[in-house]
Amino acid sequence: MGTVIDARGLTHEYPDGTTALRNVDLTIEQGERVAVVGANGSGKSTLQLALGGLVDPTDGTVEYFGDTTDAEAVRDRLGVLLQDPEDYLFNPTVREDIEYGPAQLGMDRETATRRIERIASTLGLADLLDRPPFRLSGGEKQRAAVASVLAFAPDVLLLDEPFGAVDAYYRTRILDLITDHDGTLLFFTPSFDAVPAVAERVVVLGQGGSIVADGAVRDVLTDRALLTDNGLQPPVTVQLFEGLLDAEDVPLTVDEARRYLQERLD
Amino acid sequence: MTGVVARSVESIASALRQFFTAEHVAARDGFLQRRDPRVTLLAVGGLALAVMMTRTLAVTLLFGLVTVVLARLSAVPLRRLLARSAVVPLASAVIVLPQAVLLPGETLVSVFGFGVTDAGIAYVVLFTARVGVGVALLSLIVLTTPFSAVLAAMRRLRVPVALVWVFAVTYRYLFLFFNEMRRLVLARNSRTTGADGVREGWRDARRLSGTFLLRTLNRGERVGRGMRARGGARPPSPYGQQRAVDAGDYALAAVAVAALVISGVVRWGL
Ligand SMILES: Nc1ncnc2c1ncn2[C@@H]1O[C@H](COP(=O)(O)OP(=O)(O)O)[C@@H](O)[C@H]1O
Ligand SMILES: [Mg+2]
Repeated sequence: MGTVIDARGLTHEYPDGTTALRNVDLTIEQGERVAVVGANGSGKSTLQLALGGLVDPTDGTVEYFGDTTDAEAVRDRLGVLLQDPEDYLFNPTVREDIEYGPAQLGMDRETATRRIERIASTLGLADLLDRPPFRLSGGEKQRAAVASVLAFAPDVLLLDEPFGAVDAYYRTRILDLITDHDGTLLFFTPSFDAVPAVAERVVVLGQGGSIVADGAVRDVLTDRALLTDNGLQPPVTVQLFEGLLDAEDVPLTVDEARRYLQERLD
Repeated sequence: MTGVVARSVESIASALRQFFTAEHVAARDGFLQRRDPRVTLLAVGGLALAVMMTRTLAVTLLFGLVTVVLARLSAVPLRRLLARSAVVPLASAVIVLPQAVLLPGETLVSVFGFGVTDAGIAYVVLFTARVGVGVALLSLIVLTTPFSAVLAAMRRLRVPVALVWVFAVTYRYLFLFFNEMRRLVLARNSRTTGADGVREGWRDARRLSGTFLLRTLNRGERVGRGMRARGGARPPSPYGQQRAVDAGDYALAAVAVAALVISGVVRWGL
């Protein structure tokens, strides 16, 4: 155990004067699974870039693994998936895009090839590997980008809306890959849909880029006032059962809801 | 953006993009595809150098023949090779065209009072043919060898890291550039209807080129991040194609050496 990411007083202002992050303190421990949730424009992507060492915040520091503030020194351990998959696809073929990370970060070729084959088949990319990336559909691009990050086996994942464009089938596949990941997970999303399945802790970003809540999934998801104030909506099951049940009994996922109803019906 | 300007932008963009995207030929089986990329790089590069050295049309045409044979052996469609390598020599032909009248020689025809000389014509033809064959040879490398394998071969040949870096970044940036251009034109076409005249087309094009520049810069920055997120701050170190050097490699290298020697001898004598 240990601290993976320790951010202190992160503030970021873009050159045009937009303040996207305001004094964010965030500590992520080894093995934690955290969802960072916020409405559009609340600063999720900016926070992800700052935590991933891809943007220099105007103020504040990020320390990695308790011993360095240089993200490049720990690049092979940070799996940063940017929001737009196009940002990852700049090679002539999908295969070269996916191999790019493992090759740059010094993974030996055999290990990389084996991993890539497995990930590509899980994500239905096996037949697309020799195609130029710009000829892929939106969802295919997103899957290729996810593959290109998982390929180098980072132990800390920072994923910005990893299934914005994929269909339900591959959404489940990506979710499976994420839940199978046995390292640390930070997952940036504008909706709570997948949150109960992958995270145990939720951080809520309010408008203006400051943290307005940080706690257990159930506590945050059943706090209607907090969510409404910040432009968010609880998952459907919570909407359905809130007011009918106590907060600690409200089912957070469809599976939980089904089990609850099943018990009543039997 | 519709009409003449749009169509030209679109066709230029797609022609240029071709240069960067016919990559799947690399996955086919053929003579050059089976070579060690270092050998391809050195030998075909050597052939290109040899053709640039020649001053004789016959030798240049011989190199053209070698290029065609290599293309056939490597499953590269000749039309695609031609499409990829025609732009540069045609542009250079325009640049050297004045030589047709400037070089002293026997006047063949008179154009606007300028005498076009036989020596001048010969020079322009030779120059264009040389550039054409040279570019076609270089295209053959890119067409038959995956980009990352070219980079890896450069590293293994101890080309300075900075040079490999610049090459990689330039290539990827151009790739991006044409991609962004195509996207903008597509987005634009889907939002306008009817055929505009040339004037409206130009006005549109001017406005668009500003947007285009900003978007490309922005995309460049973001792709830079996408690279950095996966170790892009480190020197390029792609996986190469490890191939045992075989008889075919020696044959290709021998052809290249012979070509260099012959064109050297023809030009400078023994
Ligand atoms: N490059 C940029 N320049 C200026 N403002 C930006 C830039 N990127 C994002 N912003 C602004 O910063 C705020 C936070 O953006 P972002 O981090 O992308 O939010 P989210 O990912 O939560 O939607 C928004 O108001 C957005 O308009
Ligand atoms: Mg975002």
